[in-house]
Amino acid sequence: MIKRVDNSILEVHDLTVSYHNKPVLWNIDFDLPSGIVAGIIGPNGAGKSTLIKSIMGLISPDQGYTKIFGQPLNEIRSRVSYVPQRESVDWDFPASAMDVVLMGRYSERGFWGRYNDEDRKIAKQSLEQVDMLPFANRQISQLSGGQQQRVFLARALAQQADIYFMDEPFAGVDAATEASILNLLREMSHSGKTMIVVHHDLQSAYDYFDWMILLNRRLIAVGPKADVFTDELIQETYGGNLSILATLGNIMQQKDYPK
Amino acid sequence: MLRSFIEFFSFSDPNVVYVVVGTLLIGASSSIVGCFTVLRKRSLVGDAIAHAVLPGVCLAFLLHGEKDPLILLLGAFISGWISIIVIDLIVENTRIKTDAALGIVLSVFFGLGILLLTHIQKTGNASQSGLDSFLFGKAASIVGADLYTFGAVAVLLMVAVFAFFREFTLISFDPNYAQSIGMPVKWYQLVLSSLTVLAVTVGIQAVGVVLMAALLITPAVAARFWTHRLWLMIVLAALIGAIANVSGAFISYAAPRMPTGPWIIVVLTFLAMFSMFFAPQRGFLSKWRKARSSKARIFEENVLKLLYQLEEKDGNKKVDRSIQEMLKRRDWKHSEVKAALKRLDRRALVTGQSENWRLSQEGRMEGQRIVRIHRLWELYLTTVMKVAPDHVHETAEVMEHIINPPLEKKLMRLLNKPERDPHDSPIPYAEDDI
Ligand SMILES: Nc1ncnc2c1ncn2[C@@H]1O[C@H](COP(=O)(O)OP(=O)(O)OP(=O)(O)O)[C@@H](O)[C@H]1O
Ligand SMILES: [Mg+2]
Repeated sequence: MIKRVDNSILEVHDLTVSYHNKPVLWNIDFDLPSGIVAGIIGPNGAGKSTLIKSIMGLISPDQGYTKIFGQPLNEIRSRVSYVPQRESVDWDFPASAMDVVLMGRYSERGFWGRYNDEDRKIAKQSLEQVDMLPFANRQISQLSGGQQQRVFLARALAQQADIYFMDEPFAGVDAATEASILNLLREMSHSGKTMIVVHHDLQSAYDYFDWMILLNRRLIAVGPKADVFTDELIQETYGGNLSILATLGNIMQQKDYPK
Repeated sequence: MLRSFIEFFSFSDPNVVYVVVGTLLIGASSSIVGCFTVLRKRSLVGDAIAHAVLPGVCLAFLLHGEKDPLILLLGAFISGWISIIVIDLIVENTRIKTDAALGIVLSVFFGLGILLLTHIQKTGNASQSGLDSFLFGKAASIVGADLYTFGAVAVLLMVAVFAFFREFTLISFDPNYAQSIGMPVKWYQLVLSSLTVLAVTVGIQAVGVVLMAALLITPAVAARFWTHRLWLMIVLAALIGAIANVSGAFISYAAPRMPTGPWIIVVLTFLAMFSMFFAPQRGFLSKWRKARSSKARIFEENVLKLLYQLEEKDGNKKVDRSIQEMLKRRDWKHSEVKAALKRLDRRALVTGQSENWRLSQEGRMEGQRIVRIHRLWELYLTTVMKVAPDHVHETAEVMEHIINPPLEKKLMRLLNKPERDPHDSPIPYAEDDI
């Protein structure tokens, strides 16, 4: 079930991605409308992180391309923001919450610029939006997991982008933080921004998202949640016939096929 | 000893000036770059580069025929630089992991270097003695002309780190994000690696190939203990590196047969150990003291709780309780109870003297608070978490010292301000008459 949209702002076209010749995503092809909170849903190792990493240009695909607002990523980077998985960095780095959020202003200033008062103001507003302003000067290693996650969100907000890709922002946060993050996502989407969120918990997925992208190595379904969240499709994503693709991937890796 | 100290630091000997300024520049500049090496978790890379410069030095010597420091440095820089490119190529194009790639490059390059060095020694070239200092360092042989090189390199490194500060910070903390906003991460990494090679190339003059990694890494590690701010960490690392290098140079000046390199590393190690133990907040000692003081606080709270329970039992607030009486109820040591009571006395939570004590009004409130939290938590565990009543006491003993007033209020509201705990003891509230 792959729902097509007319005014798509994200177009993923026939994307295949491998690590060391081992394909982990096969022919992913879909598009998304604007102003939604979309969830990328799938079990561990389904390739969710890989999908947004390749959309963000961090991994180059074997084949296929993505376009955002009808353009290649490089043309419109300033309108796109990425929140990596929290565990992907070492939080013992000597920096304060404010330092990290200011990094979100780097793309605006570039190499020759310096962070100015406006940047600091925007950074503070972003921290305020995630209820982290009181911790602005706190060393990041002294924040809880949920607070670190919110610092990451604030950094993305400081970029003032139109489309946001977030990798597991709900992982390891308490119920209160979860609710406030969800609130933020909804507010942003109501103001016309598009939020694309990796999530692996099926229980909460239905309540959180407007649209869903069901993924397990291949694309299972994309569409408004009511159409997509069916027993059959969920079964296909979480239980389904993954084994063939996994085995095939292993064979291709051993044979070192040319890409 | 004192005489050589005065001789050394009065700088009457121009050679001493060269050595001091030279080692100072070397120490500071390699430590600055080393901060990013440490933060990017690339400590092993420093080691690999240090070993990989040897074949470059030897080749430069063979081709050029004499010991011109600039040519040797150039050779070192080129072969160090090639080594990091090779490491990257291996990691990107094969399935060999970074640590294995480092090991391979380190041993192959160093082996090649030793081979060349042996060859040079066999041919018995007279000026070859200068090459040995590359292996173990010989700061004492720094002469005036070297200073220009060291000075230029040090200035270059400092200016580069200053100019690229935000970029280096970003790619060290979160390279994925940096790339996602379109930064040329690979390019900045190459710049940073090249600076590392440069720092290593110069640094081996002081400590030699074998110990260079320590000069690169240790100051940064030591500095990290003292601060949470990156720029301050860099400044401190530079300072620590400079101090260690100058002290090493002094020691080998005072005892000329002592090699400089090992002494620099000994001083560095000492400074790092000192930081590790004595730095506020992150140091072991402060962590240990914090743990001990919270242990003392918990014990004081337990004494208050016991005094409150004794009052609760016989309803008498106007009698002193002897330490003996308390020891009957708890498995405590006489001396520790007495010490805790004295500390509580200073905070005006108890009144009395030597063996006999009673609660003050404030102490009673505090004791009551702890008893209340204990019982609230037990009730929470049995009613909400459905834990059997005989299993709740242990965790409540811990929680009573952890739960803060806002949490306590939440707990109370959640349980509807209950009257009795699971063991049917009353739950005391502050507004009750006490
Ligand atoms: N750098 C890498 N090198 C090799 N294989 C990788 C790499 N990163 C991921 N993989 C593999 O690719 C597959 C997909 O990984 P990915 O991280 O995209 O999954 P995910 O859906 O995000 O899982 P999770 O819920 O655990 O985060 C997994 O089988 C994983 O082992
Ligand atoms: Mg993932």
